[in-house]
Order: sequence, then C-alpha cells, then structure tokens
Amino acid sequence: MRPVALAGAGVCKFGVRQASYRELIWEAGKACFDSVPGLRPRDLEGLVVGSVMPERTAFQSHIASLAAEALGIRPTRLSARTEHMCASGSVGIRYAYAFIAAGLADLVMVLGVEKLNQPSGAEAVLNMGTGVDREWEAAFGLTAPPCFALAAQRHMAQYGTTEEQLALVGVKNHTHATRNPNAHFGKGATLEQVLCSRMISSPLRLYMCSPITDGAAAVVLASAERARELTDRPVWIRGTGQALDGFQLSSLPEDYAHWPALKRAGEAAYRMAGVGPRDVDVAEVHDCFAIAELIAYEELGFCKKGESGSFVAAGRSDDGGDVVVNPRGGLIGCGHPLGATGVAQAAEMFAQLRDEAGSRQVPGAAVGLTHNNSGMGEHVVMIYGREPA
Amino acid sequence: MTYLRAVDPFPLQSADQTKLAEFYARLATGRLSTTRCAGCGRMAWPPRAFCAECCSDRFDWVDLSAEGTLKAFTVQDTGLPAGFTGPRVFAIVEVDGLRIFTIILDGGAGSPSIGQRVRLRPLRVADGPAGDPRWLPAFAPA
Repeated sequence: MRPVALAGAGVCKFGVRQASYRELIWEAGKACFDSVPGLRPRDLEGLVVGSVMPERTAFQSHIASLAAEALGIRPTRLSARTEHMCASGSVGIRYAYAFIAAGLADLVMVLGVEKLNQPSGAEAVLNMGTGVDREWEAAFGLTAPPCFALAAQRHMAQYGTTEEQLALVGVKNHTHATRNPNAHFGKGATLEQVLCSRMISSPLRLYMCSPITDGAAAVVLASAERARELTDRPVWIRGTGQALDGFQLSSLPEDYAHWPALKRAGEAAYRMAGVGPRDVDVAEVHDCFAIAELIAYEELGFCKKGESGSFVAAGRSDDGGDVVVNPRGGLIGCGHPLGATGVAQAAEMFAQLRDEAGSRQVPGAAVGLTHNNSGMGEHVVMIYGREPA
Repeated sequence: MTYLRAVDPFPLQSADQTKLAEFYARLATGRLSTTRCAGCGRMAWPPRAFCAECCSDRFDWVDLSAEGTLKAFTVQDTGLPAGFTGPRVFAIVEVDGLRIFTIILDGGAGSPSIGQRVRLRPLRVADGPAGDPRWLPAFAPA
C-alpha cells in the first residue's frame, strides 16, 4: 500500500449556529483550503462527506454532490457520503485513505457536517433515536445517554469508579475547550459545577455529556508525492482499525464496562502503525459521555483495566501527563456534530503534529491517536505521525 | 415552525407489515415469546426471521416466562425524545437466559434494584396506521 498523509485541515466554529447546512460546509471548506496555500477546489480528485441525518434536519439527501458543488470540487476519482452514526467522519477518512493507498486516487477531501439544531435542539434529541434500534429500543424512548449510563453504572460497581472521577473528565474537557476558539463551550467548568449540574441519566450529569451541536470540519488526504508538493510538513496516517461487537444493547457483551471492539480496533491500528500506547503523545477520544473517555483509556492501553478513574484524577491524561487526551476539548467541550466529529479529531491531529495548535499545543507531539465510536459496540481508531514510519 | 414527532416512533406490528406479527399478537394477550430457528434450534432475542448462525429463514414461535430478573438499569430524568417523559427506567432484564432491553414501569413505586424480580406488563402505545392497537414488551416489579 502507498503511504497517505493529511495535507490540510480546517474546522468551522462549533455551536448552536445561525448558519444553514450548506453554510457550515462552506465554512469548513474555506478553513481547510486556507490551510493549504495554492490548493484550488478543482485540484481535488474526490470528496467524501460524513453526515448522519440531513434527511431529518435539512430535509436533504444527495449530500456529497451538494457539498462538491458548494465547494467547487469536481470529483473524477471518488465521490461518496458515509453515514455511520457518530463515527461517520472517521469512516469517511478510512474510505479516502483506502482509495489513495490503493492508487485509485491521489488527492481527496473528507468533510464532515451536521446541522443538528434545526429547527431546534429538541428535534435533534428525537432524531438521535434513529441511531439505536427503532423496533426494539428507540420505541421505548431510548437515545444515547441511558446506554452509556449503563456502562458507567457497571464501571462504578465493578471498579469503584466514583462520580467525582467521572466529573473530572468533564472538568478537564470543558477547561481544554477554553483554549479552542472553535469549541461550542468556552467558559470551562469546576468540579462543583459538574457535580451539581442536572442529572441526565443516572449517574451521568449534564456536564459529563456532549451537547447538541452544529458544525463541520474538513481534511485533505494525499499520496506522499502530492502531500509533499502541497506542504513541507504532511501529517502521516500510520494506522487504522475498526471493529464491531454489536448493534443492540441486548447483543453487546453483558459487561458494559468492557468494550472488546475498541480494544481490537486499537490493537489493529497500533500493529499497523508499529507503535504502542506509550508512544502516543496526544489523543482525541470519543467522550460523548465521560464514561466513554474513561473506558477508552483502558481499552486503548493508556492504563490498566479498571484504573481509568485514578488515571484521570492523577492528571495523567491532562497537560504534562502520560498522554494529553482531548486537548481541543473533546466532544464534551467542542460539542458533537455527529458526522463532523471524526473529521475534527483528524484536524486536531493535523494541528498538533505540526506544532500549530497554539495555546493547546502538546509540546513535541510526534504520534497522535483518534478514537471515534458509534455507540458502545463499534469503534474506529486512527494513528497519525509526524514521520511517515 | 416545529415538526417534532412528524414520525412514527413505534414498530409496525400487523401481519401485512411484518413477519413478526405473531410476537405482537401474543404480547397483546400477555404472553412474551420469541423465535426459535427451525434449522439449528437457536433461540434469539429479539425475534428474527433470519438465523445469524445457520442462515435459515424458517422459525417457530416459543413462549417465554413472563418473569425475569433485573440485571442493569438507569433512570433518565431529562433529555428524553419528544413524546417520552421522565423519569424513565431503562433496563436489561434476563428471561430464560435471554437478555432483553426494556423499561420498568411503576418506577416511582420505589427504587428498582439489581437482582429484583420483574414481570411482563405489555405497554399500550399509539395505534398503528390502520387503527390497530400496538404494544411494547415492558416490565414492572413482580
């Protein structure tokens, strides 16, 4: 396979945006093109768009073509949309990666976009039920929070993880978001604020949850030759893995505090990249809820099983720790515009591994990891490097 | 303009809409049932018309116990989708060795506890498009 690199990246302002679906695409596209001087839309050979529910929000299908036209891209090698719930963006990156690695294309943009607050955030909460099983789960009113709450309860019962340790994930990521001008939230949060915020689904409180957010992000993937023409500091895709345990809650492993699919996806990515957990300097993990970040530390090998609570409490996932997790603020601080999230994680790696992340830069970061999931049962891991191998 | 719930959140349950109509017919009379593969004998939850083990599409209906054990639960207070109200007890109940996702009704009657015995209490929801009554397999403390 041929090496593949990120040659550009851009993210729009995340939040409850006074901007349409197409306008979010324009904003992320502009930010991405601005990061690659000399690159014009018609130079790109393809576009993959990760987007989950425009049919329900913008009442719009045929998304990849809409976005290509909006940005002036005329695909000659690849044009596709990925819908894979919350991991749609990372799945799109894997498609573009595979096309370029196989020699079927040299230069492809991956864009993720979601306009969730349309006409209101409450509509998005209703729509989120499409991500779980309609007939056997969503018919009861199930959306994401109770699923992850079940994982949190199990983790607390089995390993003694505390509500305060869950809250510390919220504190860290809200605090990190204050250094990211594109984050949904910018005020930070204290431990007391997180612990006193309203209960969503026991034991998960509001500040331990990602919000309903509009946003878009874009990255440019390129073959080695094209990447070096476009920039003197490409960020290399070193490894990738994806694995599925199941879709319905009743078919996942009974112990919701164990996510074997994440472990498998991580191991596949590490093996391909030729690195291990201790080599990772910076990670963006899928903290849709605080418990997800804790379990990610364990399954990705940053700490032992069951020790994630003390890991976060000791600051080992914060600035100066073993691995800086979610420096951009994660999903809790940045918000979670579904299809955009995986692409925004990649954009953060592009900034971090080029020393361009400003006040949130992880000093000397050379290896970065992203983790994007679709529920507790399905996970995508990407590993990026400053060096090609 | 608001278009909350311009969708039907409940499954279509009548025989002209689903091969699994028998499940709902039995549920309406207070019986919990599922499918057993006619090829390999595997019981599944939820019911299915294709066996993921042996690829058979032939199945028989079998009744399950109406009682089970509460294995895990969470109470959602806020942030529920339009048309659903909190507090709502989402749960995993084990019945005859099968793990069933459901809700526990009468949650206000006292806090549920892991290991507690619960009993099927079919929950009537909005009628189907042909005016047919629809039911979901909910549970309540036994």
